[in-house]
Amino acid sequence: MNTRRPLLVFVVGVLCGTMPSVAASGQTPQQASITGRVTDAPTGQPLANAQITVVGTNIGAQTNSDGQYTIRITTAGNYEVRALRVGYGEQRRSVTVVAGQTSTQNFQMAPVPVSLNPVVTTATGQQRRAEVGNDIAQVSASEVVGTGTVSSAADLLTSRAPGVTVFEGTQTGAGVRVRIRGTSSLSLSNNPIYVIDGVRVEGTTGSSSVSVGGTTPARINDINPEEIESIEVVKGPSASTLYGTDAANGVIVITTKRGVAGKPQWSYSTQQTAITDHNHYPTAYWGWRTGTTSATTSSPSNTVQCFLSQVAAGTCVQDSVTSYNLTKDPQSTPFGIGYRQQHALQVKGGSEMIRYFIHGEWEDEDGSTKVPEFDQRFMSSHGLALSSIQKSPNHLGRETARANLDVSLSPDADLSLSAGYIQQDLRLPESDDSGVLGIATNIYGGPGFKYNLNANGDTLYGWRAATPRDIYQIETDQNIQRFIGSSRANWRPRDWLALRSTFGLDFIGRRDTQLCRFANCPDVGTTRLGYKIDNRTNFFDYTLDAAATATKQINEAFGSRTTLGVQFTRTIFDRNGTEGDQLPPGAVTVTGAAVKLADEATDETRTLGSFIEQQVSFRDRLFVTGAIRSDRNSAFGADFKTVFYPKLSASWIVSQERFFPHFGWLDEFRLRGAYGASGVQPGTIDAVPYYAATRTLGEAGEVPGVVFSALGNTNLKPERSTEFEAGFDAAFWHNRVNTQITFYNKISRDALVSRVLPPSLGTGTTSRFENLGEVKNSGWEAAINTVLLQSANLGWDVTFNGSTNQNKLVSLGGVPNIILSSTLQDREGYPLNGWWSRPLLGFQDKNGNGIIQYNADPNLSEIVVGDTSVYLGNPIPIYEVALVNGFDFWQRRFRLQAMVDYKGDYKTYNNSERIRCLSRFNCSGLINPGSSEFEQARTVAGREHPSRTVAGFIEDGDFIRFRELSLTFNAPERWASRYLRGRSLAVTGAVRNLGVLWTKYTGVDPEAYGTTGDAPSSFQAFAPPRYATLRLNLGF
Amino acid sequence: MLIKHRLATATLGAALLVIGCVSSDRILSVEDPDIINPADVASAAGANAVRIGAFARLNVATTGTTSGSDEGLFLLGGMLADEWINGDSFIDRQAVDQRVIQPSNSFLTTADRAINRARLSAMQATVLLKQFSPSAPGWEAAEMYFVEAFAENLMAEDYCNGLVFSSVIDGREQYGSPISDQTAFTIALAHVDSGLPLITGNTTDDLRVEYALQVLRGRILLNMGQSHYAEAATSVAAVPTSFKYQLLESLTTASNVIWSLNNSNRRYSVSSAEGTNGVNFAAAIDPRLPVCQGGDATCKLNGVSQASRDDLGKPFTVQLIWPTAASPVTIISGIEARMIEAEAQQAAGDPASAVATLNAARTTVTGLAPLTDPGTPGAEIDQIFRERAFWFFSTGHRLGDLRRLIRQYQRSADSVFPTGSWHKGGNYGGDVNIPVPQAELNNPNVPAALCTDRNA
Repeated sequence: MNTRRPLLVFVVGVLCGTMPSVAASGQTPQQASITGRVTDAPTGQPLANAQITVVGTNIGAQTNSDGQYTIRITTAGNYEVRALRVGYGEQRRSVTVVAGQTSTQNFQMAPVPVSLNPVVTTATGQQRRAEVGNDIAQVSASEVVGTGTVSSAADLLTSRAPGVTVFEGTQTGAGVRVRIRGTSSLSLSNNPIYVIDGVRVEGTTGSSSVSVGGTTPARINDINPEEIESIEVVKGPSASTLYGTDAANGVIVITTKRGVAGKPQWSYSTQQTAITDHNHYPTAYWGWRTGTTSATTSSPSNTVQCFLSQVAAGTCVQDSVTSYNLTKDPQSTPFGIGYRQQHALQVKGGSEMIRYFIHGEWEDEDGSTKVPEFDQRFMSSHGLALSSIQKSPNHLGRETARANLDVSLSPDADLSLSAGYIQQDLRLPESDDSGVLGIATNIYGGPGFKYNLNANGDTLYGWRAATPRDIYQIETDQNIQRFIGSSRANWRPRDWLALRSTFGLDFIGRRDTQLCRFANCPDVGTTRLGYKIDNRTNFFDYTLDAAATATKQINEAFGSRTTLGVQFTRTIFDRNGTEGDQLPPGAVTVTGAAVKLADEATDETRTLGSFIEQQVSFRDRLFVTGAIRSDRNSAFGADFKTVFYPKLSASWIVSQERFFPHFGWLDEFRLRGAYGASGVQPGTIDAVPYYAATRTLGEAGEVPGVVFSALGNTNLKPERSTEFEAGFDAAFWHNRVNTQITFYNKISRDALVSRVLPPSLGTGTTSRFENLGEVKNSGWEAAINTVLLQSANLGWDVTFNGSTNQNKLVSLGGVPNIILSSTLQDREGYPLNGWWSRPLLGFQDKNGNGIIQYNADPNLSEIVVGDTSVYLGNPIPIYEVALVNGFDFWQRRFRLQAMVDYKGDYKTYNNSERIRCLSRFNCSGLINPGSSEFEQARTVAGREHPSRTVAGFIEDGDFIRFRELSLTFNAPERWASRYLRGRSLAVTGAVRNLGVLWTKYTGVDPEAYGTTGDAPSSFQAFAPPRYATLRLNLGF
Repeated sequence: MLIKHRLATATLGAALLVIGCVSSDRILSVEDPDIINPADVASAAGANAVRIGAFARLNVATTGTTSGSDEGLFLLGGMLADEWINGDSFIDRQAVDQRVIQPSNSFLTTADRAINRARLSAMQATVLLKQFSPSAPGWEAAEMYFVEAFAENLMAEDYCNGLVFSSVIDGREQYGSPISDQTAFTIALAHVDSGLPLITGNTTDDLRVEYALQVLRGRILLNMGQSHYAEAATSVAAVPTSFKYQLLESLTTASNVIWSLNNSNRRYSVSSAEGTNGVNFAAAIDPRLPVCQGGDATCKLNGVSQASRDDLGKPFTVQLIWPTAASPVTIISGIEARMIEAEAQQAAGDPASAVATLNAARTTVTGLAPLTDPGTPGAEIDQIFRERAFWFFSTGHRLGDLRRLIRQYQRSADSVFPTGSWHKGGNYGGDVNIPVPQAELNNPNVPAALCTDRNA
């Protein structure tokens, strides 16, 4: 046989990520096999998806839908075979393999009340959880999706993994921010990286090139939760070392569903959802006065008012105070009932040779914001009909398809192909901080009466300056065409050697457009002249990765596992943008504009890494793993070449040791600890000095020029984070309680500080990255799963997730405090992005007139403001707790599940109330004699004290939210068979976001904020809506 | 079996070979097309491109905007003085209007960066022109000295003592140290004097740059005190009254920022007798400063249909000197030369000549009646400064003038700056200049106090 050809083919396979079957065509004579069936012990029913592995080797198999498995083995001898499956206790059996013969080993697995998935995905492949020294949180997506409470990938993560903080968007299509174990980077992204089926994918937040205020999409929400089997959260450098540079903020590993050998299993699901906004938006006030002239007398068309401070000063008299809340008036409220529907069809099945999973879905979501009744009447009276955009101003349409194929090329080689396609159209209305244009801006900013008038004399019904009929004419759309594909080849030329290679691509074609037709849109600036923005961006994320793993049972006590690998990633951002201003009537393209602008932008990053990992096991209960990864990156400075990231971890199932006392109530006790390092890379051109192109208008027309832009930094290197974590896993009372407790301490050194450059230098860029800072995150995480009641008719299980995070900026490396904004600072000894302001120290109505007043004379002033800025609080929660209670009843046909979560010890900037009091002049504390002294005091401090401090608006953000409630009915199979000719039938009713049960926050909702930034503030933003869903699952 | 063993060994070898590729620089080499490398400007064409870039920088620092919302010192200085009142909800803009500025003020930091960018670009262009384009017309390098000196003088007029001029030479930062405004005027004057001798021709460009430098020289000398007034008048004597040095605006480069933030975005409103002491700009009905009230017939004709400011307040007074986004702005003129002469004449004890000079300038505008000598030195100064206020509305003169009234004419701050009740509540503060921005603390030579003092 020609040995060169398979070698060549495999090398090509390594490089291309594919493995032609010929690569493993060499047949080994006298090959033996182990076969068997895995069943549920109490019922005898076959168990699919059980992992069967031969201990001390790389070989194994997964059971098919009949519980059958077959393992080919090349060397005769005595082996130990292990069976693992979620929901069951691990089992091991000894098997003697005789050359040329088939040995049979069946497993009857005993269910346990609570069990975690015994297998986790690591950078070197799948491993037993017991062997890994880190805590890896897992979310069984397929189970959660079935409860009907999620509509996005982000929903899957919210409050389901300790240490993972999710800031969700509040509109249809709005993005999400995910933080794992706090914020580590001063100036770079704190986003984790995302890996789907072994391929790095785009997970950026703020993914749009046109603005609608503060709401932006996040690319992770493109992923359809129905396609996901599980999500694993690799939390920090101690676990993410081998994922390389960029993994310091954690890794979210997504595994999509795959086929199982057996006959085709079809399933259809649909969700019908009502979306409503039940939040209490603030009431507006107006202080009416009568003066001597029209300029000093209040009217519906002017802004003349009498404020409390003016009443106290005697400069005016309040004739009356009126109030109005347009969201409570059926005629003026923009909130209606949104509607979401989705229909999904999937099939999985196959043979031992080829298994498949195919999924297709159509979904459509129409948000809850509408054109109010009064606007509709206005349009009707003017002979105008609602356009399609006005009917559905916040809309998401998405079609997704996925095909996953697993091919057994030979007993030693297999190939997994994955392909996912997403087509998505998102329309977002102007919202949040969009100035005059924003829907929420106009809700928060309206006067305290109904019949205010615009410049044309039209009634605004309490809207500030523009109403939805005009605002919705701004057409902001985003189209996404996305393909995520990967191929993974596995080859086991020897029992002890496994080779794998993965090649994948995440391609996104994104088109952002914004259009104001001629004479449309609110009359602000030049908008009514018409404009069109059309930006087209392509994102390419390539992953090429190859590794070899050698496994050897050295002797009865010691085992060894060595993995050697290389990885290359390449990301490309490639954008062409164009804008056309001043459109003629009817024109909707840039081509028709009188003024045209164009731009292009490119960004490319490449990383080449290699790693080696060595694991040594002792009697299958102590596992010590050491590894090192080296990376080079195109963004490192010229004077910096290679970075090395080490890792060391240990896992010890101490309860299996003879010396360990055996208690009846303790089933298993495992100690684990890990240390590791990882990094975050700077941007592509952060290291180099450069000029930028510009142009100016001269007498002879426009001429191109050049301006100095960036100083660069030739010493730039990646930010380096090291982390130590330690903890234990324990199972108690016959596996009724399963506990994982973890302590972590993460330190980011060489933290990239975006060092502000002094303005006097005159550089184009305002800052330069320097490796200066040090940031520390530490805390505890706990996950407790319990079964309190378990009987044939009644079950009660409780899941508790809790975490703490203490964040501290240890050092800025000699750089002055970083003033991020008037309220946010980075100072040594305090959390990143901390809230700072001159404090409102006290207030007292000294003269007893019922009005809090400021006076320059401290003896007369009724407010006391500190002289310097002080730290007011953390921008993200220090404590997070989620509690899920599940009840099964009526022969477990019904399951009721409820999730309540708490976030605490942090501050939220009630910036909406700030602007109402200090700029919109419609808040209670400014006008209403019945307002509290505190409301008045913070207003006076912001308006009249020389400091203009807004400290009074930075409030406790703590809250308890009733996040999810669902009731599922799993119909008897005979019902499905008899009435629907199906295999299974389940119906679920679910509600997401039932409301805030408790909070100290005085604003509309402590989670009412936009989707960008590491210190979210509520600035004229919508609060989270409620999703009420009816879901049907039908299997056939 | 043997075959497979060899195959596995070879495969491992291949994998190691791939790992060996880690050392390859080629794989990691990335070209970014968005940037221009320093080597690309090391030529005559490159020097010329940097020269043009300096104009773009000066434009954005003074009269233009590429974002539609970032203003420079012309507007912010005018709001700290009495030209503009605030019309929006941004605290940092309101603080400027109210004269209670914090060094962290984001708008002023942006403006400070912009004016320093103009200064740096001009410096770099001067160096590159000398090195790579020695045969270029002298006015080109002279005009770069003009840009540099204009920026330096404007900063000295507006900022507190303790301002800083840093630079970037050969790609390396060179941190400056705090200097007084008087020192800054001296530096600006030196740059003007470096530029003037470079003009040896008599072309339109030569004359344009020469006149601009001469007027700027007079302006700087005026700032330096009464002892320099005579020299200032001499410097500008040759400049014709009709001379204008303009920055051009367009929708595709930089649009007129005054139009953008007043007429279009309604964040600024022309003031009228702001804080008791302010000039009645809006009410004066002066043909040099045509205005309309938002939503009235005149405003609607000029495309301004809204009746109120961005904060929905009134008055919303709209200037019509620059009625479009593409209206050019005169930043140096022959009129300024005449005003310098008039002030020097008054200081020399010749008020009649001063009034005559003022009236000669007024004849260039239809509808301006001649002035008469008010009879007292104080009133004469008031008259000259009022004339300057209308001639140079929102072109970066007014804040410097109010400070000169304090510094050179011994007026109190409370008699020249807006004072008393601020129009949005509370009272005016005491600021008479712009502080060095907090971001300048990243300069190792700058003390924590930033400003040496906050005097006029």
